[in-house]
Amino acid sequence: MRPDAVEQVVLDALRNANLARDPSVQLVVAPGAPIFGPDSPLDSLGLVALLLDIEDALRDRGCPVVLSDERAVSQKRSPFRSVTTLVDYIGTLLQTEQA
Amino acid sequence: MATRTVLVTGATRGLGKALVEHFLNAGHTVIGCGRGETTVTHERYTHWRLDVTDATAVSGMFTELKRTVVTLDVLINNAGVASMNAVALTPLDAARRVVETNFLAAFNFTREALRMMRKSSGGRVVNVTSVAVPLRLEGEAVYAASKSALETFTRIAAHEFAAFNVTCNAVGPCPVETSLTAGVPRQKMDRLVAAQAIQRWARPEDVVNVVDFFLRPESAMVTGQVIYLGGVS
Repeated sequence: MRPDAVEQVVLDALRNANLARDPSVQLVVAPGAPIFGPDSPLDSLGLVALLLDIEDALRDRGCPVVLSDERAVSQKRSPFRSVTTLVDYIGTLLQTEQA
Repeated sequence: MATRTVLVTGATRGLGKALVEHFLNAGHTVIGCGRGETTVTHERYTHWRLDVTDATAVSGMFTELKRTVVTLDVLINNAGVASMNAVALTPLDAARRVVETNFLAAFNFTREALRMMRKSSGGRVVNVTSVAVPLRLEGEAVYAASKSALETFTRIAAHEFAAFNVTCNAVGPCPVETSLTAGVPRQKMDRLVAAQAIQRWARPEDVVNVVDFFLRPESAMVTGQVIYLGGVS
């Protein structure tokens, strides 16, 4: 799966998440936008829902990955902090799956 | 109650089979799984023959369910094994088997099911625990510990699942005449019954009644609760 297609999946998931969020806590939907951390209003349960949406979308495209495994949790810098880092992380997981 | 899609583990016999038959009679679509073949034949029933501790088999079942079932509304984690023995005489492998079946399998099913339940208008997870937890009888340390883990899991999962409009509760039957209790010495079971406020064995329909309460749409505010039968607390 190409990086631009992965990025589109992540952006679509953010758009979808915004549908259920109050106007005052909307997530930025853009390449490079923050997802989880001090610059984002997304809390930990919101992150779980977002990751599940992304996993479902990737599975529907024939690319099943588990995003919230121990590798992600143990990384010093969370792969979930921005669209850029998450897309890179998914790319790494997909390469590992194919290897 | 609107018809739902219900998944029951340990569905081959005993309480699980009673739950399957109850849900079918109520008009629901039911998916059951267990190590043995089923004797239930119904157009709305699908049986998966698998060991709930076999993560690969369970993952394969959920992959197929995600492909064929639009929404999963209810998960009943009923599968369980009993092991009555003194701590000093319990082999490690026996303890591991109890924990893997009674707790880890329920965790795995819940984790997988939650992904499907997010699309439900009101998902329900019901875990089957036991009065062995509050009664703390000797000889039941491993079994009660595994169910105690399931109860703590129930209470914490309730907090996490609320955001997905999914409740998570547990029912703790007192002794029910099933294959699970058939292997336990009668004397031990009688001691359990003697510790209850209502001193008789439970019937499957006593358990079904509590499960039905958790499943009612009106129970949307009931989550993280453990209800024991027989007046045990």
